[in-house]
Amino acid sequence: MVQDMTALREGQRTRATAPFPSTFALKLVMAVTGVIFIAFVFVHMIGNLKVYGGPASLDSYAQWLREVGYPLIPHKGVLWALRVTLLVSLVAHVGASVILWARGRRARGRFRRRRSSGVTAWAARTMLLGGVLILGFLVIHLLDLTIGRAVAPGAYQPADADGTIHAYTNLVASFSRPWMAAVYVVWMLVIAVHIWHGWRTMAQDLGATGHRLRAVWATLGALIALAIVLGNALIPILVQLGVIA
Amino acid sequence: MRIELEVWRQDGPRERGRFEAHVVDDATPEMSLLELLDRLNDQLVEGGQEPIQFESDCREGACGACGVTVNDVPHGPVPRTPSCRQHLRSFGAVTRLRIEPLRSAAFPVVRDLVVDRTALDRLIRAGGHVDVMTGTAPDADAVLVTHDDAEVALDFAACIGCGACVAACPNGAAHLFAGAKLAHLALVPHGRLERGRRAVAVVDALEAEFGPCSTYGECVEVCPAGIPLTAVAAVHRERLRSVFRGRAD
Repeated sequence: MVQDMTALREGQRTRATAPFPSTFALKLVMAVTGVIFIAFVFVHMIGNLKVYGGPASLDSYAQWLREVGYPLIPHKGVLWALRVTLLVSLVAHVGASVILWARGRRARGRFRRRRSSGVTAWAARTMLLGGVLILGFLVIHLLDLTIGRAVAPGAYQPADADGTIHAYTNLVASFSRPWMAAVYVVWMLVIAVHIWHGWRTMAQDLGATGHRLRAVWATLGALIALAIVLGNALIPILVQLGVIA
Repeated sequence: MRIELEVWRQDGPRERGRFEAHVVDDATPEMSLLELLDRLNDQLVEGGQEPIQFESDCREGACGACGVTVNDVPHGPVPRTPSCRQHLRSFGAVTRLRIEPLRSAAFPVVRDLVVDRTALDRLIRAGGHVDVMTGTAPDADAVLVTHDDAEVALDFAACIGCGACVAACPNGAAHLFAGAKLAHLALVPHGRLERGRRAVAVVDALEAEFGPCSTYGECVEVCPAGIPLTAVAAVHRERLRSVFRGRAD
């Protein structure tokens, strides 16, 4: 027994060094890249609202995205800068989450509690699965409306040689398929849960301790998540209802 | 009252553990969880068996020595209450109890329900204390502390160090414990003098032996001292502050 206890203590002393990269740094990476994603999704949603202005409105917005800043910035310069930023953020976000997940598993040990309390714990538990789902939906979305392969609608029209983009036609063609409309609605719900919990965790990771700040933060997070869901998920629903055609 | 128990038995840190079934026929509603274990141990001793090892000290919720997992919840079914203050009368219709040690990789089982929680002590040794010469007592009102600061500091100082937050956490994190200490000491005059150094030391020790926080919020549900989730944010606030400040205070 005494020998066992000594061995126990010695065993613990050997692992008592902080891991690299530190959990603190990884959590900050998650928080900062999370802000980038939420900002992107929010701005993307605002761009999507152009669909209510008709084909010309959405298509000219898509074209503007490719020409913004010209001639100071080359064609598609801003677009590619955003794409690279998002890709780097994605790699960092996913990479950090995998390391943190592994550290959490190791620290928990071999006994897992089966009971959990409340909706917060539920949202936290869904984060990893939610992240994987969002990534899967993202691949579908890019194939469907950006690249125009595989899951894209049969009537998909790539951009013309003169740079004319058929975003509206493609969107309506894609969302006219009920299963695809459903995929997008589910995607938005998953994103909403991910953002809601991510936003909460962000306040924790960035050290928000004040009562008022935390209350304002929570309200803001709920509003942003709601705006993203409503702004985006209404579009496939309205296409299905024939309002957008 | 008849209580059916499944209790974790483990002969030593390196032995395999197992559940053992027992029945206590003469339990009473006013018994606490620990008194139920005492009663069971009397039974075991009378029958010539080894009693179940568990820790306890004050039995009034002040010391943090006790702590077992009951039906998968650290401390027991009554929220935010230490094991010693969990009474059978509050369990409702529950008469089958599965009692295990507090579970976490950082808390190896010593024997039966006793776990080694010195990982928490190592965290306190790393930075959860005041390490400056405080001299003689200052004159009254020479060092001013606002009433609000004192109240908040005391709220965070309420942590009894039982370790239930770690056992409740699906990531085995001790952020609630570490944050309570950091938030408390950052608000008091002597603690303030080494805020930066403390934040670095405590976070290093925290990361060496515990997991990351994913805001599950499970810790708050079991904390007998009622430490809020804000404590977790305090860990990062203090650590970030030390990054921007780059000084010991």
